[in-house]
Amino acid sequence: MTAGNLYILNFRELIIRKLVLNIILIISIVFVLDFAIGHILRHYYFRESRGYHYRTTYSMEKTNAEILIFGSSRANHHYISGLLEDSLKMTAYNTGREMSGIFYQTAILKSVLKRYTPKLIVLDFAGEEGKAEQYDYLSSLLPYYKTHEEIRNIIELKSQFERIKLVSEIYPFNSEIRTIIYGNLENKEPINAEDKNNKGYIALYGEVKAKIADVDNSTSLKVDTNKFNSFREFIQLAKSSGAIVIVSYSPIFQKYNRLQDLEICKGICSSENITFWDFSKDTTFINKIDLFYDIGHLNHNGAILFSNIVATKIKHEIFKKDKDAI
Amino acid sequence: MLFNSINYFIFLPLVFVLNYSIPGKYRWILILSSSVIFYMIGGISTIAIPIIIILTTFICGILIDKSAKAGRRKLYFLAGLFVNLGILIFFKYINFIITTTFEISGLINSFVSSKQGDSQQPLILQMLIPLGISYITFQAIGYLIELKRGNQRAEKNLGIFAAYLLFFPKLLSGPIERAHHFIPQLRGKNEFNYEMTVEGFKRILWGLFLKLVIANHLAIYTDAVFNNYEYHSGVTLLAASVFFVFQLYADFSGYTEIAIGSALILGYRLIENFNRPLTANSITDFWRRWHISLSNWLRDYIFLPISYSLVRELMKKAVKQKISEYVSYITGIIITMTICGIWHGASWNFVIFGLFFGIIMTIEFLTRKVRRKMRKSIPSLIDNIIGISFTFICFTFSMIFFRSETLKDAFHIINSIFKNDGAFFRGVPSTLLFCLFGISILLLKDFTDEYMPSRFLFFKNKRKYVRVLSYSLTIIIILLIGAFDGRQFIYFKF
Repeated sequence: MTAGNLYILNFRELIIRKLVLNIILIISIVFVLDFAIGHILRHYYFRESRGYHYRTTYSMEKTNAEILIFGSSRANHHYISGLLEDSLKMTAYNTGREMSGIFYQTAILKSVLKRYTPKLIVLDFAGEEGKAEQYDYLSSLLPYYKTHEEIRNIIELKSQFERIKLVSEIYPFNSEIRTIIYGNLENKEPINAEDKNNKGYIALYGEVKAKIADVDNSTSLKVDTNKFNSFREFIQLAKSSGAIVIVSYSPIFQKYNRLQDLEICKGICSSENITFWDFSKDTTFINKIDLFYDIGHLNHNGAILFSNIVATKIKHEIFKKDKDAI
Repeated sequence: MLFNSINYFIFLPLVFVLNYSIPGKYRWILILSSSVIFYMIGGISTIAIPIIIILTTFICGILIDKSAKAGRRKLYFLAGLFVNLGILIFFKYINFIITTTFEISGLINSFVSSKQGDSQQPLILQMLIPLGISYITFQAIGYLIELKRGNQRAEKNLGIFAAYLLFFPKLLSGPIERAHHFIPQLRGKNEFNYEMTVEGFKRILWGLFLKLVIANHLAIYTDAVFNNYEYHSGVTLLAASVFFVFQLYADFSGYTEIAIGSALILGYRLIENFNRPLTANSITDFWRRWHISLSNWLRDYIFLPISYSLVRELMKKAVKQKISEYVSYITGIIITMTICGIWHGASWNFVIFGLFFGIIMTIEFLTRKVRRKMRKSIPSLIDNIIGISFTFICFTFSMIFFRSETLKDAFHIINSIFKNDGAFFRGVPSTLLFCLFGISILLLKDFTDEYMPSRFLFFKNKRKYVRVLSYSLTIIIILLIGAFDGRQFIYFKF
């Protein structure tokens, strides 16, 4: 090997070493910043006293209500916890969260059952239960990955690399910085008055504004069997805990035509001997502009009417049957 | 394989290490095999199509090169063109052609006979579109044209030729490379180059920032609005249209940055695709700055041949030179931009998208002298503001046709923008905040690079600590607010 070749080889080694050293330097800085910022975000996330982060934490770690409502935004805006409490003389909490599917609800239930057993569990059937491509919404559970072992398998459904991504301390709080700041703004009060009084329920005020076009939801969906399995798991977990379980399909502005997932979920409830209430075709609600905020959500007036109906139904059909059985 | 997926960031370093572990003259073999693997991960079932394109173009290329007679050269060229265009039309446009023919025949029938139309539906072919088909065929056609013109010699090594067409960083969404620019790089020694590698890493990082922090957040808002456009007010639809301009720019330029960066770290330079399009002061200027590789391809292989041949024909018929120039430019630009529209997608809204730009560019051409005179009487700053605003408004308008699924949807949205008053849809507050943040970054970057190129340098700062801190903070911002939802790049579908 000539001196020239040796020089080229050494030079090449040197620049590769320079590149590797620079990469290591950047990774180290990123690691330190990630660790520091991630811990600050974690601290403030769990200090929130209002907003949906707070409500998820409260549902998983603090509530000991006798009645628990599970579901997505439809559950959250349809079931008035206070009204159910007054009517049934039992404590109630609404764990429903915007854009959360059955995986989220199963995760919340698992965390709840680790601490205590509620007396009554109401799962709101959101419609399109089997619809694929909703795994991104599992991001809302990422902050709990470290501390809640029982829900890790659900979070890992999000992607095959979720465990690698979770090496980052910032990642669980990705895109949540505004909400964390908002949730900490009124931290003088231990629990925000609005959240405390509403017990998870969030009222929607106003009526359907825009002209509602005809929605054809009769076409078949690409079905995700994972979701039906999770639905079954939810039912079985709730049932085996000893709680009374009801699956309720709350009112919708227009008739729901997509029978595919409705029939499957009804079938699961029937096989597990669980009550399924279908309010989707209830003429008290269908096409009543004054009771709806939008096509899928009742406004506060609609929620009052609906919660009263549910409370009466629970009193007369569930608790009475339970008493009779005793 | 998505550029913003973890799979890609396992795949790329592996190719990078292997690339510099083998002798330079054999690196094209690694490039070819890794590109084939890359293709097969995304679309193994359609691998036969690029193989057909490669073999046909390669053989036709050699035959063109070897033929001394012009007639034979033309024959081999047409054969290659026929196969490439045939494949492109079949896979991308056949259903559009079938439905359009069906609709036209239905229309004629309804005029001829008074019978109500029956409920027959056109036959729609269910098939997978081969990955990157538009890009591969355009590169192959460009190669054949250059050979026919005698500007280039045919590539004799099938492997190198295949590596040129399939090179994985540019496989799915370009840039549309020219053979004379890329093939010599595949033949070169391709030694490890520190500066190129560092530049590559920087560009990949910036591309990820554009895609994850800007484009994906804007997509959350625009998808929520456009996917349910019937329910949204005019002001919301207008905002979504404006947001979509930035989303598309961040998405496509983000992809291009990752593509060019990936090529750089492997020791190859791809041609640039963007040059600060937000600062363009006319539509003609805009298309020189936006998707440059496509614009140049269309200019060299469609616009100029049409214009020159028309000028020649008109001059032969003793038409005045000035009129010949006007007619040839206008015809050339309308045809070119309509093809540009159709290249983007097989539907009428893309035809309108292209035609709209053709008309605007024609108006710009016809008024160029008047505008030049006017420019002298107003300060250049005002002139620039007017030009940039006009260009932005035109591009935003065109985006309604680009984003809509059908022409009917596009007209519905335009109608709603003007007529449908109502509340502004904010969506999740964080989303709107991140959208505005992303738009500000894009505007700041383009305008400072254009007007103050030596200021506000972060990745290219002279001080090492500023550079290192900039890279680290960019990664932190991506982790903090990037939207990691595995969203596709928009231009993949073209």
